[in-house]
Amino acid sequence: MKKYDVIVVGAGNGGLSAAAYFAKAGKKVLVLEKHNLPGGCATSFVRGRFEFEATLHELCQMGDGNNEVKRVGAVRQLLDGYGLDVDWVAVEEAFRAIVYDPENGYDVTMPVGIKEFTAAMEKEVPGSGRFIQCVLEYGKMLCDGVEWLADHNNEPGPLAKVEMLLKYGDLMKVVPRSTNEMLDRIGVPEKAKYIFESYWDYISANSDQMSFAVYCFMTYTYLTQKPWIARKKSHEISMAFDDAIRKMGGDIWYNTEVVKIDIKDGRACGVQTAGGEYIACDHIMCNLMPTVVFGRMVDPKEVPEREKKLISSRIIGQHCFTLYLGLDIPYEQLGFKAYDTFVRFTGDNVKQYEAFGNLDTHKDYCVTIINEVIPDCSPEGTCMVQFAKFYTDDAFKDVTEEEYFRLKDKIAREIVEHFEKVTGIDLQSHIEELVVASPVSWARYLGTPQGDVYGYSPAGWDGMFPRVQSGHKLDYTVRGLRFCGGHGTQMDGYSQAYLSGAEQARYMLEEM
Amino acid sequence: MGKYNYDKSALKGLGVGDFLNEVKVREAHIAAAPASEIKSEYNANILAKKLHPDYQAVKISEIKDGPDSKTYTLVPDETKGTKSLAYFRAGQYLSVVVPMGESYICRPYTIASDPKDALGEENTSYKLTIKRTAKGFASDAALDNWKAGDSLIVSAPLGQFYYQDLRDAKHIIAVAGGSGITPFYAMAAAIASGAEDFRLTILYGSRTADSIILKEELAQAEAGSDGKVKVVHVLSDEEKEGYEHGFITAELIGKYADGDYSIFACGPYLMYDFLRKEVEKLGLPSRRARFEVPGEFGDPARDPEYPKEAAGKEYRLKVIVHGETTELTCRSDEAILDVCQKAGIPVSSDCRSGICGWCHSRLVEGDVFMPASADGRREADKKFGWIHPCAAYPVSDVTIEVFPSS
Repeated sequence: MKKYDVIVVGAGNGGLSAAAYFAKAGKKVLVLEKHNLPGGCATSFVRGRFEFEATLHELCQMGDGNNEVKRVGAVRQLLDGYGLDVDWVAVEEAFRAIVYDPENGYDVTMPVGIKEFTAAMEKEVPGSGRFIQCVLEYGKMLCDGVEWLADHNNEPGPLAKVEMLLKYGDLMKVVPRSTNEMLDRIGVPEKAKYIFESYWDYISANSDQMSFAVYCFMTYTYLTQKPWIARKKSHEISMAFDDAIRKMGGDIWYNTEVVKIDIKDGRACGVQTAGGEYIACDHIMCNLMPTVVFGRMVDPKEVPEREKKLISSRIIGQHCFTLYLGLDIPYEQLGFKAYDTFVRFTGDNVKQYEAFGNLDTHKDYCVTIINEVIPDCSPEGTCMVQFAKFYTDDAFKDVTEEEYFRLKDKIAREIVEHFEKVTGIDLQSHIEELVVASPVSWARYLGTPQGDVYGYSPAGWDGMFPRVQSGHKLDYTVRGLRFCGGHGTQMDGYSQAYLSGAEQARYMLEEM
Repeated sequence: MGKYNYDKSALKGLGVGDFLNEVKVREAHIAAAPASEIKSEYNANILAKKLHPDYQAVKISEIKDGPDSKTYTLVPDETKGTKSLAYFRAGQYLSVVVPMGESYICRPYTIASDPKDALGEENTSYKLTIKRTAKGFASDAALDNWKAGDSLIVSAPLGQFYYQDLRDAKHIIAVAGGSGITPFYAMAAAIASGAEDFRLTILYGSRTADSIILKEELAQAEAGSDGKVKVVHVLSDEEKEGYEHGFITAELIGKYADGDYSIFACGPYLMYDFLRKEVEKLGLPSRRARFEVPGEFGDPARDPEYPKEAAGKEYRLKVIVHGETTELTCRSDEAILDVCQKAGIPVSSDCRSGICGWCHSRLVEGDVFMPASADGRREADKKFGWIHPCAAYPVSDVTIEVFPSS
């Protein structure tokens, strides 16, 4: 008899969620993680007296019910259902957007709340308020529609499809339209459109490519349910998963790299670890990208043609460069206020996306300061300022070992000096700790192609809605093998990866 | 329906057909794509593997004797699959697997050579300078047993003790004690070769002139540095012309300081205890003083917070690996990690100072003491009862779950 009902390969956000889902359903689950910690991107690290958040900006769909729409978010329900012990903290701000173009620049802080957000936009772009109000009404409809779909497991049957047509025909109309197209159709003035689209680089596709429905749903959800983070950084979420999975009878082995997924005659039958141990199992959930699994972990004879085609048809998402600063100055004295800020050379994200492909042209970044939300997240008298920028394409391709450290330091310096110039704030006199992680560092820790953190670009034809509708029966064609994570059907981001893990675990349970 | 108050005219000309066709369109895209071989090598990943290999197989090509120490030259062991060495930042260390009879123990040793020597495919090398330490069974095992031609397994370069121009002053005053000179020798050599660019004044404490480690090498780097490196030997047990005498005090540091400077320190705990007070007298902000992780904490009873009643005892230590339990005993002054590794349980570890977190393990039952200065855990680790066994000492019978490398 096989010891485990299911093996989860990779303890990233998707894998942890899937493992918790299996364990909760009473299945005997083993999680194998090559790193020494759970979470993948969802982790933290200590330098000197600072503990830095590695990646989390904010979780979506986490409303606690105590908000203007009285909604408990889908992700909150999922995580609470697993019994995670996490001290969640709400962020009371949407974002700050700075465009440093001397002619058409702006610096605006956008609040959460529909009324507040609309009023702030009206103030910044007079006359835009009624259009933004209209956009957010679409958001409300989309939110209801997405919830309705989730209640039907994203697979409405024939009868339900008729109901959907009646109730959510408008959703069906706007899903295939790009964000830019719909905002133009609604008549949103250009500047308001740019500000509204500020979140774009959390989703790895520009607004000509991004589905309006997905973008608008996400923004509406942030505005009504607020963005959320964990008090003890995202490592708290990952450790809470570890704890919950063990309590529900699951096993997790760290430092255990799976090197081979054994497939015979189109059917998963086990995994082999780097240490040579073979563990037989009929059901394997991979929290790894199919590109990695089919590219080097599966007998090439067993890679289905459809998987090859699917992989070659997709674009690897963005990879990030992150810079973490521990400053010996209290946040209140820093002279810059905001949790999450996007600093860009233009508001037009199609142009931004283009510039992000190259080391020489990409000068933009976002800035996150957790002290704004959790004042004591760093020692008294200090604060932490973190930067992230996202590269598209193969921006680090010709870099040699010898150049590499200098290049990392050069980009870090460029970011710091640029931020100082744009804001007039002195960072350099206060840097006590400094950590730089390039796409190469992310490639090292995550093992994703190019250090990709966003899975596959959700551009046009491969957006969330068609993916979700393909995630049960069309994709993942090897029997007993499924995939979850930020590259999954639900797209990238913590919340999306948690949902993806649950979704794919649910499908796998049907097959068990 | 009137449920939503939006302007429907924006939907003019749009139907639901595109939505209903989305899956078909996606399938058509996939069908039209080539069934090409899947690319498994990407540039960022290739570079990541070069810089951070899982491990490196090396051979000892040369051994040079020094005062109470030896310097080993390590070259790639091609027969074991290592063709070139990973580049590093001057000041980084290797975690070295030191065989101890049937089992082994890992020890961090700073690379004592110019990073440029590790570049390229030919004639690449690292040097490690290992000094005999009082209770150092690992250094004894190395110094007594390693021979030219021996094979070793070492980690990729690790650690954060290196110069960062965005963070540090342009002038580094290095304070070194004993084998703590190794990172500064690497920095001096890097400055001489052009791999690094900053001013480095090394205040190097030794007992006597004859006991100075890497003396010639330091002099050579200084001579080739175009005035950027200055080496000052400070002798504690001997007065000699051309040398400073006594301990490395605030006054001595002040003598060599000019303008903005950062202190980098590397040496044993005792030196740090003394030096921290001296640094305080200089009134430097904490970002201007950096201390390399000091290695093993040693006897936990010297920490003022240590529960005295736990001292001098022997506790039962249950170690769970993949569901199987091994019973060991652990003295109150032994780090739990050491006991595991000596018993042949290969718990992953790198810094052995409580800081890097590589040995992250789950405390299932019992209590351990972790000195505050060697507690580099994350906040959530404390919440969920995880420990770093390299700097954890039992104060009761203890059960832990560990995760050896596969």
